[in-house]
Amino acid sequence: MLNALSNARRHVMPTLLGAAILLGAVNAQASDVSVSNARLSLLPGNTPGAGYFDIENGSESAITLTGADSEAFEAIELHESMEHDGMAHMHGVESVEIGPGETFSFAPRGHHLMFMDRLAPLTEGDEVEVTLDIDGEPLPVTFDVVSPASL
Amino acid sequence: MMKRMLLPLLAAALLVGCADEEFRTTDIEEIMPSLEFALTDGDGEPARAEDYRGKTTLVYFGYTQCPDVCPLTLARFASIFNELSEAERDDVQMLLISVDPERDTPEVLKRYTGAFGPEFTGLTGDKEEIDALTNRYRIAYSFEEPNERGDYIVNHSSAVFAFNAEGQPRFLVRDPHSNQDVLADLRQVIAEG
Repeated sequence: MLNALSNARRHVMPTLLGAAILLGAVNAQASDVSVSNARLSLLPGNTPGAGYFDIENGSESAITLTGADSEAFEAIELHESMEHDGMAHMHGVESVEIGPGETFSFAPRGHHLMFMDRLAPLTEGDEVEVTLDIDGEPLPVTFDVVSPASL
Repeated sequence: MMKRMLLPLLAAALLVGCADEEFRTTDIEEIMPSLEFALTDGDGEPARAEDYRGKTTLVYFGYTQCPDVCPLTLARFASIFNELSEAERDDVQMLLISVDPERDTPEVLKRYTGAFGPEFTGLTGDKEEIDALTNRYRIAYSFEEPNERGDYIVNHSSAVFAFNAEGQPRFLVRDPHSNQDVLADLRQVIAEG
């Protein structure tokens, strides 16, 4: 588990251990899933933020990301930006499936988490705890708050 | 005699060559009208295109509730402006024209564009004023159905239009154009004076 979580380990371990104690056991699949490069792009004011990260499915079977939650925001949605005929489109996404052994990137101008209505002031350099919902199992991830200029 | 004639001719040919240098991004000199608008600035004051003459002007149509593409586009131009000399930077500005005036009040826009740097200005207006502008540049925008929280997505043009200091159309930037190409074209228009 430690290895599989390598990148996110520092932030994730205490919460995950807490969850493990609560649940009695950690889902075998979730332990093979690691998230890295988690960034939350924010601007001043109450404009929505965008979350970007890489999620690696080190397990033997497909996993499905169905949502995300954070105490720092009223709501988080899965979104995808697309460009078509010179128009920038965005739409909500129900879920994202990641095949066994695959890494999926939530990246600028593509899939992203849309963070809406921040409940506490946040600035560049802050960290935000987010729980990803993977096949009904919570996966805690720490996002670094960054400026869109750093992306 | 021939030699003396040839040099000025060569120099003239070079100058013409320079002036006609092709843009690396998309040339819109012949296909877009000059920059004209009557909108409202971040202080709630009337903003007319004439007030923004004198600098190379980039125009982008977007909205502040857009989390991904809009801030990335503005941040991209902020980083391109960073490559310019101080004198060049003084001669360039970028206007974010909101296609979501309902949520983008002058105050919201001012705070938003301020985050990108002093070259950025947000303009808004009523729907008629904005439509006059989007029709003029033949771009579309559309609203998605609001969700249960009342939030809605706006689909909008991803292009950035560049005008010279007199408001004449010059080039258009799309996502695939490289920053180096945009920078070269920008410098060329700034050099027009």
